[in-house]
Amino acid sequence: MTNRTNKRKAILVTPEVCIGCRGCQTACKAWNQLPGMKTKNTGTMQNPPDLEPVDYNMIRYSEVPSETNPVRWLFVSRRCMHCDDAGCMRICPAPGALFRTKEGAVAFDKDKCIGCKLCVAGCPFDVPRYDKDGKIAKCHLCYDRLAEGMQPACTKTCPTGALRFGDRDQLIAQAKQAGYGKIYGEADLGGLGTIFAFKDAPKLYGYADKPNIPESVIFWHNVLKPLAVIGLGGALAGALLHYVAIGPHKDDDEEVKKS
Amino acid sequence: MSEMVRKAGNEEIINHWIMAVSCILLIITGYGFLFQLKGVYALFGGNYAMKVVHNWAGVVFIVSLFATMFNYLREALTYDADDWAWIKMGGGYLSKSAKKAPPMGKLNTGQKFYYLVILAAGIVIAASGFSIWQVQGNRALTQVSHLVHNLAFILFVVAVPVHAYLGTLANPGTFRIMVYGTVPIEFARKKYPKWMKEIGK
Ligand code: HEM
Ligand code: SF4
Ligand code: SF4
Repeated sequence: MTNRTNKRKAILVTPEVCIGCRGCQTACKAWNQLPGMKTKNTGTMQNPPDLEPVDYNMIRYSEVPSETNPVRWLFVSRRCMHCDDAGCMRICPAPGALFRTKEGAVAFDKDKCIGCKLCVAGCPFDVPRYDKDGKIAKCHLCYDRLAEGMQPACTKTCPTGALRFGDRDQLIAQAKQAGYGKIYGEADLGGLGTIFAFKDAPKLYGYADKPNIPESVIFWHNVLKPLAVIGLGGALAGALLHYVAIGPHKDDDEEVKKS
Repeated sequence: MSEMVRKAGNEEIINHWIMAVSCILLIITGYGFLFQLKGVYALFGGNYAMKVVHNWAGVVFIVSLFATMFNYLREALTYDADDWAWIKMGGGYLSKSAKKAPPMGKLNTGQKFYYLVILAAGIVIAASGFSIWQVQGNRALTQVSHLVHNLAFILFVVAVPVHAYLGTLANPGTFRIMVYGTVPIEFARKKYPKWMKEIGK
């Protein structure tokens, strides 16, 4: 939709080869200078439990039963998807707070963010978080590194190739060649910038089959926004028309001549 | 000089202007948000500054709206047969020729309706605004609030300009009520006969 050029970059996530080392989490913190955070052990290796203002990416440790084993461990990278049709960008009221980089990433500018937190309500993946100043915090595809010709810190660190960065078209072609029939995110929301080579149904990995921008945001965008302009315009035009065609109010006590 | 009748007290006039100015600020900044209007943001001194203006103008607006209840609420809830007759003739606004409107009290039927609509929509827009502003970590609530805030906004941008038109150009002689608070006695007898009778003039 907005940015489907051949230049679009992406991260391909292949859970099957992830060993859950969390090097990506550490590399992200190092590059973006994000402090550590105290968390509680809730009986899972997953840490942190979810994305945080200081955790732009994380590995989700899903335990699901398999045919051969009571537990099958799925390690899935979770982060901003850099949607082509991004709910966060649609709903954001502040110009420049969220912007599209030339690689197709959805990056942010904290100085322009007003901290209204509407992007939380617009994101299909519950990604945006807020720092202590109430400003947006999330993965920005290391656009600062990309600008210098480097790849993102997480993909650079990943030892197994579970996270790979490159031209989106190429990554998709390669994953298909490797035998993954469907690539999650290939066409959803105009095409995601974080794409997944899943062996099983997306649900198993914690992703909705068909991710969607919330209905309320679509309705607001397509109906309410135009109505706000038509409403004001109509009211002003109506008043003017009334003034010209009918004129000021007259309620004299005098005899009513015509009806 | 003819004798004057006081229709609005000073506190009523001051409160009305506080409400009007905050409402217009809210509408302007509201459009700024809706369409990411850079010029409007610049007018208020930048992105964050405009958000602060909007939020606090919202607080001022809802406080002044509540204050109007002392002035108009009882009147706005009182109806009789004349109101029905007024509705049927559209208040006399729909035809060029002069028509005799049914006798009205301090507020006419249209004004009473307008007041109740603004009161309700004002409470709704303030409640949803506060929710977007202050409540965190409840996605569904933010989504509903965002929707409701914008629905009420549409009502405002239709109703407020019409109200301003009716209070100025459409009814010569009324605007002075929001400046001086008084009107000539003959004018008052014509416009608010029931109220005049009530106060014995
Ligand atoms: C006449 C009254 C008001 C009008 C016309 C109005 C209008 C608007 C509009 C059009 C938006 C843009 C929403 C969007 O982009 O979807 C907005 C956003 C917002 N409004 Fe209001 N609003 C009013 C009152 C209030 C009040 C009373 C509050 C709360 C104190 C409030 C708080 C907010 C908040 C928090 C936002 C989100 C952006 C931000 O954080 O600044 N509004 N408003
Ligand atoms: S995943 Fe959420 S935050 Fe990231 S681009 Fe999509 S809508 Fe925006
Ligand atoms: S919190 Fe910031 S980035 Fe999110 S919608 Fe509001 S202004 Fe935009």
